[in-house]
Amino acid sequence: MTLFKQIALMLSIFLLIILATVLTLNFQSANKSVQEGLYEDAKNTATSLSLSLGGANGDISMMSTMINANFDSGHYISITLVDIDNNTLYKREIESEITDIPKWFLNFVSIEAPTALANVSAGWSQVGILSVQSDTAYSYQQLYSIFKGLLISFAVIATIGLIILNLLLHTILLPLKEVQKQAAAVIKNEFIIQENIPYTKEFKDVVLGMNNMVSKVKAMFDKGNRELKVYKELEYTDQDTGLRNRKYLIDKLPSYLKVDASSGGGVNIIVALSGMIEANEKIGRQNVNRLFVAIANIFKTNTKNIDDSIIARMNGTEFSLLLPDNSSSDALELAEKIYLSCMETIKSSGLNEDETFVSIGLYKYSYLDTISQLLSHSDNALAQAKFSNKSIHLGEIEDAVEVMGKEAWKSIINKAIDKDRFHFVSWSVIDTKAKILAHNVLSINLTADENTSYSYAQFMAPAIQSGLSHDIYKNVVNMLFKIPDILLRASTYSLRLPHEYLIAQDSYNNLSELLRIHTPTLPFKLIIEMPDKLVREDSMQIKQYIKLFRKYNIDIGIFEFIGDSEDYQYLQDLRPVYIKGEGSYFLTQSTQSLSALRLITDTVDISLIAVGVMEMETLKMLEEKEIHIFQGRVTEMLEV
Amino acid sequence: MFKQRVLVLLSLFFISIALANEPYVEGPLLDRITEKYKVFAKKRFFYLQKTLDSVKDKSDLEKLETVNTFYNSVRYSSDKKVYNKSDYWATPWEFLGKDRGDCEDYVISKYFALKYLGVAPEKLFFTYARSSKFKAAHMVLTYFKTPKSEPLILDNNNHKIFPASKRKDLTPIYNFNGDVLNKIGKEKKSHKKWDQLKLNMKRKKI
Repeated sequence: MTLFKQIALMLSIFLLIILATVLTLNFQSANKSVQEGLYEDAKNTATSLSLSLGGANGDISMMSTMINANFDSGHYISITLVDIDNNTLYKREIESEITDIPKWFLNFVSIEAPTALANVSAGWSQVGILSVQSDTAYSYQQLYSIFKGLLISFAVIATIGLIILNLLLHTILLPLKEVQKQAAAVIKNEFIIQENIPYTKEFKDVVLGMNNMVSKVKAMFDKGNRELKVYKELEYTDQDTGLRNRKYLIDKLPSYLKVDASSGGGVNIIVALSGMIEANEKIGRQNVNRLFVAIANIFKTNTKNIDDSIIARMNGTEFSLLLPDNSSSDALELAEKIYLSCMETIKSSGLNEDETFVSIGLYKYSYLDTISQLLSHSDNALAQAKFSNKSIHLGEIEDAVEVMGKEAWKSIINKAIDKDRFHFVSWSVIDTKAKILAHNVLSINLTADENTSYSYAQFMAPAIQSGLSHDIYKNVVNMLFKIPDILLRASTYSLRLPHEYLIAQDSYNNLSELLRIHTPTLPFKLIIEMPDKLVREDSMQIKQYIKLFRKYNIDIGIFEFIGDSEDYQYLQDLRPVYIKGEGSYFLTQSTQSLSALRLITDTVDISLIAVGVMEMETLKMLEEKEIHIFQGRVTEMLEV
Repeated sequence: MFKQRVLVLLSLFFISIALANEPYVEGPLLDRITEKYKVFAKKRFFYLQKTLDSVKDKSDLEKLETVNTFYNSVRYSSDKKVYNKSDYWATPWEFLGKDRGDCEDYVISKYFALKYLGVAPEKLFFTYARSSKFKAAHMVLTYFKTPKSEPLILDNNNHKIFPASKRKDLTPIYNFNGDVLNKIGKEKKSHKKWDQLKLNMKRKKI
């Protein structure tokens, strides 16, 4: 029970007790007053009637008439005249009739009809004693009316009192609610600074203390953000041309060369400038630098319409243009244009085309290539270009003979989608420092028939190329929520949702409905992983997803992180439980850039996880860089 | 058995002695009266006690005569002058302490003195009457030997006690005896002035 409820309950009970006491006292006072009034009436009647009776000089008939007149005109149940020997001279009485009063009230309130006495005399001699007893019916009516009035007043006062009490408590305890909100935000790693400082000293001290603490943590996060930006700028950018550098390309290539890459392949163009020593001598270093900038602009201009392309300066004289989804012919056409533009620029710089020239090598890569294969084949193509007359050479490796054609894959996958032939398999993610299983990563297998099963690595690439990735994930997500019993209970599982699925129009609504229906009964804790590239776009769509996951208390993870964002504020806004990056990425990071990243993640409590770790040696190297959570084949060698 | 009887008789004897010796105005009250109304007041109360003691064993008539004579020697004065109130029923201690009062005060003091002397209260009435001599409202104490007998009038204006039939100057209006009404009725209240007087007497108002 909250403090507010406890205080409200206590004060409400207190208020009601006070009001009930006042009501009781008021009613008792009214009761007493009515009874006294009843006696006073009787007494006045007895005295005035006894004086009148004195004038009758002992005439009984006269006295009877006088008594009748009084009895009939007032509220009495009896008027009796007795003589000095206590013999009744005359008596009038009536049964009291109490109407319109509930029986419970008559039982609850007892009014005794008072009797007033007066001496009656005729001249000097005594006649007797007159007794007058009032009727209680009228008093009951009066009291019942008072009781109803009091109850109404009580209800009105109690209602108003409770409303005022509630408002007062809300006002007084408002700062506490704000403090509670701030404390909850701190738990969620949100940086809320309380602007309204409460006037209550205790609350004020707490708020100031929390503000101070939050400011410090925020300052740490901002410092990490600034530093990481600076280091990334230095690590990934060529200072002369403003293009990306070799390191960037190497860190980025894993997301292009993988089975579930959104692109099945493309062309990598290597552009090399020859005769730069002569150029330096002829036009000077500054003009050569300008030439490089001009050539870099040629690259940018020519590739600006190609999605996800990377232009990187590989060394002093070589540039790489990675063009995903580009065909050989388009790439050759582009290379021609680049060649002509570069030669034009060289010429306009006042250089001899025979001494300073451009060679372009093109390599048609596949997602199945390794980084070294892509680079060496690109270098081979460049070497060929340097020796060819046209200065442009396209190197193509014959496609490996695929076991199955695209259409066959398409048929198998479609069938699997229709008949729900996907099955979950899970891989461990292990924290070697805490020696615990951090969580399980869900992957899927496709069972074509009783004897044939395909792994994710086998069927995902043809699925992406056939545009079926979204349908597969739709099927898998349905399966995850609707038939979760196949999984281990009471554990944590993560599911990676790819770019294609998340941006599809119906995905949000589908996921939203599944979460609404199935989250309360989900037998395990779920972490949804989203690609870093998509998350940092900070689009409305991503905001919707984040809001949805938060609503159902689903944690968020980030995968394919290489930290090439211009701002890391999105990490603070998103507050994922972890960031997954390639093991090779963490290994190639400088100490400064890694510590800046750690400053950011530590302040908002984000774990760093190295994925694709195959060897124990790599694991040891990563541990030296303070990375302790691993995913990949190496986890099979670890014991928890 | 015999011893027990002796003990009961002795006890009754001492109780009767104690009651017989109980003064009309007890010591501490007399001290307060003396402090407030000085030594002459004390002397008046001393004389009152002596007077009452002198008729203790006499007939009702002698008691009436003695008490009437004693109190009629007190000077008449209106409530306005003595108490600065239009109408006030003084306790016997206030009346004799101040040594003045109006007709009701005489009646009250006579009533309680006679009650002290053992006259049955139901024989005594406060009687509201009209005085044709003074053409004013008046109050006298009336004594009924039996309920049906002619009452005797104890009046502060007429020092001698007469039967009612001899007092042509008085027209009776209303008889009142608070003790009788209190005794018959369940209510502790019977008459506003009487109730207040009883309260004042209980509080030993002087």
